[in-house]
Amino acid sequence: MKNVYIYENDFISLLNLIFYLLKNKLKPENIKNEFYTPSLFENNITLTITKNEKNIEWIIKNIGKYSMKSIYYVFLSEEENKELIIYYFLLNALKYRQKIMYHRNLKCVSEVLRISEYVIHESHKMKGFLRFKELEKNILYAEMEPTNDILYLISCHFNSRLKNELWIIKDNRRKIISIHDKKQFIIVKEKDFEISTQKESINEKNIENLWKTFYKTIGIKERKNDRCRMNFMPKKYWKYITEVKKEL
Amino acid sequence: MELQEKLKILADSAKYDASCSSSGSNRKNKDGIGNAASSGICHSFASDGRCISLLKILLTNCCIYDCKYCLNRKSNNIKRAIFTPEEICTITLNFYRRNYIEGLFLSSGIIKSPDYTMELLIKTISLLRNKYKFNGYIHAKAIPGCNPKLLKQLGSLVDRLSANIELPTENGLKLLAPSKESKNISQIMEYVKNNQNKKYVPAGQSTQMIIGATKETDFEIMNQSSSLYDKYKLKRVFYSAYVPINKDNLLPSLEQPPLVRENRLYQADWLLRFYNFKVTDLLDSKNPNFNILLDPKTDWALRHLNEFPKEINTCSYYDLLKIPGIGVKSAKRIITSRKTFTIHIEDLKRMGVVLKRAKYFILCNGKYVTNKDNFKKEYIEKNIVLGDFSHIEQLRLF
Ligand code: SF4
Repeated sequence: MKNVYIYENDFISLLNLIFYLLKNKLKPENIKNEFYTPSLFENNITLTITKNEKNIEWIIKNIGKYSMKSIYYVFLSEEENKELIIYYFLLNALKYRQKIMYHRNLKCVSEVLRISEYVIHESHKMKGFLRFKELEKNILYAEMEPTNDILYLISCHFNSRLKNELWIIKDNRRKIISIHDKKQFIIVKEKDFEISTQKESINEKNIENLWKTFYKTIGIKERKNDRCRMNFMPKKYWKYITEVKKEL
Repeated sequence: MELQEKLKILADSAKYDASCSSSGSNRKNKDGIGNAASSGICHSFASDGRCISLLKILLTNCCIYDCKYCLNRKSNNIKRAIFTPEEICTITLNFYRRNYIEGLFLSSGIIKSPDYTMELLIKTISLLRNKYKFNGYIHAKAIPGCNPKLLKQLGSLVDRLSANIELPTENGLKLLAPSKESKNISQIMEYVKNNQNKKYVPAGQSTQMIIGATKETDFEIMNQSSSLYDKYKLKRVFYSAYVPINKDNLLPSLEQPPLVRENRLYQADWLLRFYNFKVTDLLDSKNPNFNILLDPKTDWALRHLNEFPKEINTCSYYDLLKIPGIGVKSAKRIITSRKTFTIHIEDLKRMGVVLKRAKYFILCNGKYVTNKDNFKKEYIEKNIVLGDFSHIEQLRLF
């Protein structure tokens, strides 16, 4: 039987669990969140671990802020074995401390770097590709279906950029929403929040049409290059991009 | 005229400007709307594959000048339009709130006089900044020949202020833009360079050259770029393949804009700015144009094959940068990694170094990556060109 250690589906629980495993020299064959269904040869183990901020502080002190950020990005990814990658990264970080990132020849390090770059990259792209609609009552509303769980990262960006606006961003893949009330944003489950109005403002269609006109006009037809456009703006995002969704 | 139609006319006449970047500024949101992202953000990509980050428009396409290559020249019989400052603010703010754009790129044809046009630009942008508290990115084009006082005003409102040199040489300018004087353009660049700081044009200046409208060689173009970078500390020189819009005896008749050439110039420009290459490394008067089949760095490496293969574990940072296929990011990774371990071929892959080109030019811990007998100019050249062949179709369209 393989031992699968279970954590509640959040980053802090995962770190506390890994801290516990490292301290007690328990070697996990896998680590999964609470929704995991074990296979025939697996055995889910749920430990009762008291969450302790001191553990997290200890980790940060030992591996440095940059590494901490990187493993957080890995946590946000959809990578199949992300928990184990984080475990092995931390295991090695105990040895190499703050220098861990220089050890790109270790698989766990190159994986952490590869995956975190991918998450940052998608989050950066989404800062450009996200499209708000104006609803009644001046509410800005956007939907997306990113591969990675970047709602929090995106929200931080719009928190300063559109700080005097009411906005809502919905991740349709994870069914979570971020709501900004001009002071701060919170992320809640879709089922826990009802959007009072879904009606577009009177001006909305007008502005959308202006944008589509601009989009069509700005391309130089003598330079037309669909392949290049698609490389930069992958089709998987088009569904929510106002100016191209008709082309799908 | 409807706003929709105006936008169509004034975006259409602005689209040939190649500059698109929105990077280099970190203007904060001071209780208004918007901020600048220092890395720049692309919001969309047009049908030609070029990035859309700014609302790129002209204030007006009316112009008192008659530059031969320009759609807006006075002798062209086209529909003319002019935006009011309020209209520009409305579109910018509405687009920005919806996250269509990163900010505004505002240029203009010249109406009445350079000063009058500049005043209109200033009026528009100060409305946007002061009345509407817009802190997003703004790139404005300065009008050559205007009073320096106006350069001062405009520059303190925008993130980037620039003037287009348009043609690579003085002769080209005399031929195709007789009413423009190159000294007026250099005056703007000089002024911006001398005054640039955190509050004045924080993202610096750039310029653009049209490629293929006049007969300059790549050597002349690169020399011009290199002297512009040195003299005026430009952030970027943009190259814009000439798109034949006007019929004129003085203009070449091209079927297609010279896109591969444009791409080669960008690649070489990159080598000048980040790879420590000099123009004379790449071109000379006997060999004044880039190889269409090979990128400038590979072309250079094949002409200097005696300097290769280079050992990844010991050669200097600048030597790493000379290896085809190894960029700044990879070179830095190699330098930091080899302090902690000896790099083997498998490590390179793990480090995200792409070997497609590099493999012909490196030794890794004493080992040549492919068959040592194949370390010959003809063999490498043939393989790289063939390897690129699958991309050529794309390149031609690029
Ligand atoms: S001054 Fe500018 S807008 Fe006017 S014709 Fe020349 S290039 Fe065109």
